[in-house]
Amino acid sequence: MDIAIATLLSPIVLFFLLGLAAALLKSQMTIPEAFAKGLAIYLMMSIGLKGGVEISKGDLGWDAGLVMISAVALSFILPVIAYSFLRFTTRLNEVDSAAVAAHYGSISIVTFVAAQQAIKAAGLETSGYLVAVAALMEVPAIISALVIVHRGAGRSENVAGSDRGELAREVLLNASVVVLLGSLIIGWVTGEAGMKKVSPFFVDPFQGVLCLFLLDMGLSAGRGLRNGWRQLGPGTIVFGIYMPLVSGLIAAAVAALNGMEPGDAALLITLSASASYIAVPAAMRLALPKAKPSIYLTLSLGITFPFNLILGLPLYIWLAKAISPGAV
Amino acid sequence: MHIRHRLELIIERMAARRACNILEGAGLTGYTVLPAISGFGGVTRWSRDADMSASSDMVIIISIGADAQVRAALSELENLLGSHIGVLSFGEVQVLRPGRF
Repeated sequence: MDIAIATLLSPIVLFFLLGLAAALLKSQMTIPEAFAKGLAIYLMMSIGLKGGVEISKGDLGWDAGLVMISAVALSFILPVIAYSFLRFTTRLNEVDSAAVAAHYGSISIVTFVAAQQAIKAAGLETSGYLVAVAALMEVPAIISALVIVHRGAGRSENVAGSDRGELAREVLLNASVVVLLGSLIIGWVTGEAGMKKVSPFFVDPFQGVLCLFLLDMGLSAGRGLRNGWRQLGPGTIVFGIYMPLVSGLIAAAVAALNGMEPGDAALLITLSASASYIAVPAAMRLALPKAKPSIYLTLSLGITFPFNLILGLPLYIWLAKAISPGAV
Repeated sequence: MHIRHRLELIIERMAARRACNILEGAGLTGYTVLPAISGFGGVTRWSRDADMSASSDMVIIISIGADAQVRAALSELENLLGSHIGVLSFGEVQVLRPGRF
């Protein structure tokens, strides 16, 4: 309960709620698009660097390797489960269901950052290699969704003007993957000495920048919800709330099998429970252009992201504490 | 004054590269891509600042060329619009320097 109240009353959640309320009340407030993109890159660089520095201290062993393999497997499997739920419980067609499923197998890096803060506030430690886990979980879900659709349709869609390799470039070289993995490697190579030189920029202002970014996320979520909620049926809206819980429970079992510490387990659960709204939507516009963005974007950004940020995070931390061998 | 054909395509940003490939393939090697700010289509209202991924941003592609080039691009663009969100229009325009189109 304490964790739930601390999360709810944290500046990042309150700024998110401010943005959400402003957008729902049709406020004209905006954060310039280029500035918001710069903030996103800053946050990814910062967590990548911090993760790399942690790894440079000797954080990477066989255990971490097993967690990475498990996380990739989760990202492949979760879309299949999400797709089955969507086909049985909603009226979404095959393509829309596969596109939504891809979002729920992939991850939200902002939810990951918010989880790091909540876990730290709960007095738990996290390992640096989880940043690499986050980057690794971005892509497999997209592949799963494409396999689902192509199995159903029997062949891939040939759209005029397509470049060979455009989807692979979008999926493997999108900003999240490049910046996260690049910063992780730079942090790993330069270690603590390198981090000292950039910490006035990447460490000290981090919380403030995160608040600014969450304000923008609130505006985006509110506007997406306001413009797109008519596209979502009751079954689809409920899916946006129960699917994170299903994914979180599966990830909790994986974390328990790997014997993960509570902080790391909470991060893996959060990653699995989160839904992408940056990397996957862009990939879906290329790979499954007939899928409706108003459905998958509204669902992941307007329903699941606020749910995870406000109610999910305390729940995932509690779950991680309950299943981890290091639990008190 | 000389008659040429002007093609205007409003299309989602993620498909802009595909549209440009089609134009270039049809010999329309002069075109301009402009960002669109907001709009309403079907039952969906959209704006540039509502989507973190910018994947639902729209762009406007304008190209002017000879009748044969524009018609060569049309069937491929029709195929593209069968998959992607967009609106295509074209018509005659008068140009000052015909050698450029």
